[in-house]
Amino acid sequence: MRCFSVASVNSVMIYFGSEIGEGVAKEVRQVFYTLKSAKLEHITELVPSYTSIMISYDFMSVSYRQICKEIEDVLDHADEFYNEVSTRLVTIPVYYGLEVGLDLESLAKMKNRTVEEIVALHVNKEYFVYAIGFSPGFPYMGEVNEALATPRLANPRAKVPKGSVGIADKQTAIYPQLSPGGWQILGRTPIEMFDTSYKGFSYLKVGDKVKFQSISKEQFLELGGEL
Amino acid sequence: MSSGFEVVLAGIQATIQDLGRVGLAGIGVSSAGALDEFAFHHANRLLGNEYGTNMLEIVFGGVKLKAKGSTSLVLTGAKVDATINNKPIEIWKTYKVNDGDIINLGYATSGARVYLGVKDGFSVEKEYGSCSVSIKEKLGGNPLHVKQFLPFKSVYLHDNRKLPTTYQPNYDKILMLRLVAGYQWDMFEDIQRDKFFSSHYKVTGQNDRMGYRLSGEKITSTSKGIVSEPIAYGSVQIPAHGEPIVLLKERQTIGGYPKIGSVIPVDCFRLAQAKQDSQVQFELISLEDARDISIEFYKFFKEI
Repeated sequence: MRCFSVASVNSVMIYFGSEIGEGVAKEVRQVFYTLKSAKLEHITELVPSYTSIMISYDFMSVSYRQICKEIEDVLDHADEFYNEVSTRLVTIPVYYGLEVGLDLESLAKMKNRTVEEIVALHVNKEYFVYAIGFSPGFPYMGEVNEALATPRLANPRAKVPKGSVGIADKQTAIYPQLSPGGWQILGRTPIEMFDTSYKGFSYLKVGDKVKFQSISKEQFLELGGEL
Repeated sequence: MSSGFEVVLAGIQATIQDLGRVGLAGIGVSSAGALDEFAFHHANRLLGNEYGTNMLEIVFGGVKLKAKGSTSLVLTGAKVDATINNKPIEIWKTYKVNDGDIINLGYATSGARVYLGVKDGFSVEKEYGSCSVSIKEKLGGNPLHVKQFLPFKSVYLHDNRKLPTTYQPNYDKILMLRLVAGYQWDMFEDIQRDKFFSSHYKVTGQNDRMGYRLSGEKITSTSKGIVSEPIAYGSVQIPAHGEPIVLLKERQTIGGYPKIGSVIPVDCFRLAQAKQDSQVQFELISLEDARDISIEFYKFFKEI
């Protein structure tokens, strides 16, 4: 199902459903990469998210109707959609120490589990990158184990350290830089999430699969992590 | 020796801006760029600069600069008492600046953002395709600070030019924000839409390059929470507290609040000149009319 709708004078939304899920995410990703590779002249921005894509266009050259038609034409005549554009499995090292896992202890208490069990719940699952947003290179990933899922902090932090790995409800993410935020923080990665030296600048891409690997404090520091 | 401005006073917040970053919203990078493009494009036009040349966007004024080398200078946007070597200068008018001159900006008496442009712009590096400082994302450098040196290429040719008074905007009128219906429009019932379009809203103190939070009549949607989705420039978010937030150029790229539609760009430009407690109202406009108005605006500045 594809549903076109107006976002602004130069942007159109395509909705693929109203619930987060693998099926919808797959459709989003296929259409996103198909449009991206079609390189339509009038498209200026393509922003994929969980259940939708926003397409900004040059309104000086085309109207809303024209751009919708151009998009439909590409999607209708695409011989075959990119089936699995990204099948990359990216392993991200994380130091789950209490000094960086700011909410580990309170989570353990809340869930009536040990800190080790909380970490295991986060590590023993593969996640899917649904969207990059909020700030440069910030990956929205899901879904975390039901037993781990926890709402955001009631009082967001003014400063979440760079590299912090957190959860919010069934989502998990990494803060690419020091910023305010309300996610429950479990650990920290030494990996840069956003850098000019990366192709496409963002370390992760929509459609990537991600696995977290628990590392020691020594390894964290060795890999350039900062406490 | 290189020419440029030595920053004597940096003001509250002054940033280099051009038209911002295009094509990176998909990886979370907001466009940034000049908040009031009306004042921005006129400044470049008066200087005979190339379309989109960078300049300083100065919140409320309070900046003092010392020139090394010569250039043409223009101030547009908010009304400030400004001087060159203690001699009052007008805004919307170009001036020759000579080596050693002191440019001093008071505080805005009308409007919120002053644009200070020089011939051919400042010689600063682009980051991800733009010179624009994005404060939140720490891209394009930092806001202006004291003792910083802001280089430009010395120019000796100067044209005296001025924007006729009739074209100069009046920032003290009640601002009408024209909005294109979109996004979760259907989740706002008629009675809520009526409230939204018939009320006067006030600009709160929470206004910056990310967006303007307004206070006034609260409206509610039938939404029980939406899945986070991409946010367009000018989108009007209605969070649970019921008061609208108009999102501007440093907005986050994805968010999960219902939106009633989007304010058209030319009115977002005007909103960027609104101070705390100014009054605004919303008016519904068709997508066709919105496009015509926007095309007219950009045609004027892109065609010489």
